[in-house]
Amino acid sequence: MAEKKDFRQVEKYIWELPRDFRKDMRVPARLFGDAELFDAAFRDRTVEQLVNTATLPGIVKYAMAMPDFHQGYGFPIGGVAAMRADDGVISPGGVGYDINCGVRLLGAHLERDEVAPYLEDLTVALYRTCPSGVGGKGRERVSERELDELLVQGGKWALKRGLARQEDLAHTEEGGCLPGADPGQVSPRAKERGRPQVGSLGAGNHFLEIDVVEEIYEPNVADAFGLWRDQIAVQIHCGSRGFGHQVCDDYVKSLQAVVHKYNIHLPDRELVCAPLDSPEGRAYYGAMACAVNYAFVNRQVLAMGVREAFEQVLAGKVKNFDLYQVYDVCHNIAKFEEHEIDGRQARLCVHRKGATRAFGPGREEVPISYRGVGQPVLVPGSMGTESYVLVGTQKAIDLTFGSTCHGAGRVMSRRRALKEIHGAELRRELEAQGIVVRAGSNKGLAEEAPAAYKDVSRVVEVVHALGIARKVARLRPLGVIKG
Amino acid sequence: MDEGFEEVEHTADIAVRVWGRDLAELFANAAYGMACQLADVGDVKPTIERSVELEAYDAETLLVAWLGELLYLSERDECVFIDFDVSEITLTRLRAIVRGGAVKEYRRHIKAVTFGGLEIRPTSRGYETTIVFDV
Repeated sequence: MAEKKDFRQVEKYIWELPRDFRKDMRVPARLFGDAELFDAAFRDRTVEQLVNTATLPGIVKYAMAMPDFHQGYGFPIGGVAAMRADDGVISPGGVGYDINCGVRLLGAHLERDEVAPYLEDLTVALYRTCPSGVGGKGRERVSERELDELLVQGGKWALKRGLARQEDLAHTEEGGCLPGADPGQVSPRAKERGRPQVGSLGAGNHFLEIDVVEEIYEPNVADAFGLWRDQIAVQIHCGSRGFGHQVCDDYVKSLQAVVHKYNIHLPDRELVCAPLDSPEGRAYYGAMACAVNYAFVNRQVLAMGVREAFEQVLAGKVKNFDLYQVYDVCHNIAKFEEHEIDGRQARLCVHRKGATRAFGPGREEVPISYRGVGQPVLVPGSMGTESYVLVGTQKAIDLTFGSTCHGAGRVMSRRRALKEIHGAELRRELEAQGIVVRAGSNKGLAEEAPAAYKDVSRVVEVVHALGIARKVARLRPLGVIKG
Repeated sequence: MDEGFEEVEHTADIAVRVWGRDLAELFANAAYGMACQLADVGDVKPTIERSVELEAYDAETLLVAWLGELLYLSERDECVFIDFDVSEITLTRLRAIVRGGAVKEYRRHIKAVTFGGLEIRPTSRGYETTIVFDV
């Protein structure tokens, strides 16, 4: 078990565990955080899981954990690991069960004062137009054939069906469609689970929020993103629902028998993987890409539900009730990217499990409208607390394969949260702060209480100081919808 | 009362330690432990019966497949299973009848049963293991 003394402080916020700490490590491990966050890494299995990640074949530079790290399964949450495309592996456990869990941010043409009288009505309308909760059915009904098309085309499918605008796709990571999706690699059960859920929020830590932009840090970048002080915005946080869970489940199970075939030795069975250049590795990638596209469509359909709710409540009452898409980012994904390794361009499969891509200016993956400043990075806080919009940087590309944090990161188990926090009381506290809450259950509310999380501002201060993303805007919730 | 399981600390997800005198009891207790995470099972009436038959690569994979199958059936049939009759079990094969019913309010959703740190260990009193659920 690694201790604090085994780490070397490389820079103010970078802590490195050398490769020789454990003989099966292929690269050193790096934790990003201030002294207090670093301390927290030793209170759960984060470090052990990061060391395990460092053993995967083909991993380059470092196994890394962003400052919102905490114990997960397989990889730690906040984990970033890049594998060589030619002789590295892809690991379903390095993506997670909620494939392409992510965040979409919509901007309104409205300010806080204009919306204040209708906030309650808006939250109620959103709760109705955006289905949530355990087993919740989605807004869209799709046939088996339509689902296959959706899985391959992602956002483009939504566009053809009249559920998206061209500019929504332009402002989505990967343009809303990860190439290489192969529905033939997806089990019938995953499709069965996915069909009824297109356009649903789900439960757990997923939420929908009406926010106000309460602070702008870089006016020129905020301007490029279409954000200004006192503006109303909406965040949608969810993923690929039962479809993605089943894809991951299928492959974590089926690959158990495969690792031996490729002579791969793993310290944790959740890290199960296959060479990228193998039939099994390609099959998982093809299925994972389907789930990525499913999640893009899911958030897209929910965005249309949000627009519908705004129209229902605000039409005839305000000048312009329309919402435009600022951006949509993935928090759980593996994808191929070019990065510089030892002075040469290399094709890598970058796993981000609870981490956000944070590409700086100039990268062709960044939408043209943002290419001069860098991509928006969306970092939701815990329920009822502030969220941040950051901008990607060259420093992130140099230091973390263009990655940064994805949220606050938990510190308290659900079991303790349920013991210490009373859902109904929490609801009253949030309402006392002027936040309108619509939630399926008080217990669900208690498990997601802000006290169960790290302070998102602390996490953001670290990535900002490190330069692996910079602060652009801070959002404050006004209305929260939870499953 | 010995329910055959206990919740253990996990920062983000749910972890449950399970034990049983034999594999059949271990698997049944694991399923009951999972049901208790999904809902308050006290008022569930076992009105729905399903049969489950599974084959897997090894005992751990069989356990994940078993619990995953129950999660799937719960989602599909909108119920929680509370009664498990494991009639046949080896390290790679299982046959069972499960019974459950509708619940008024779910405690939470479980996304998946993970292999995180999963190992079925023999003990002096049978078997035990710790299962991490992604929630």
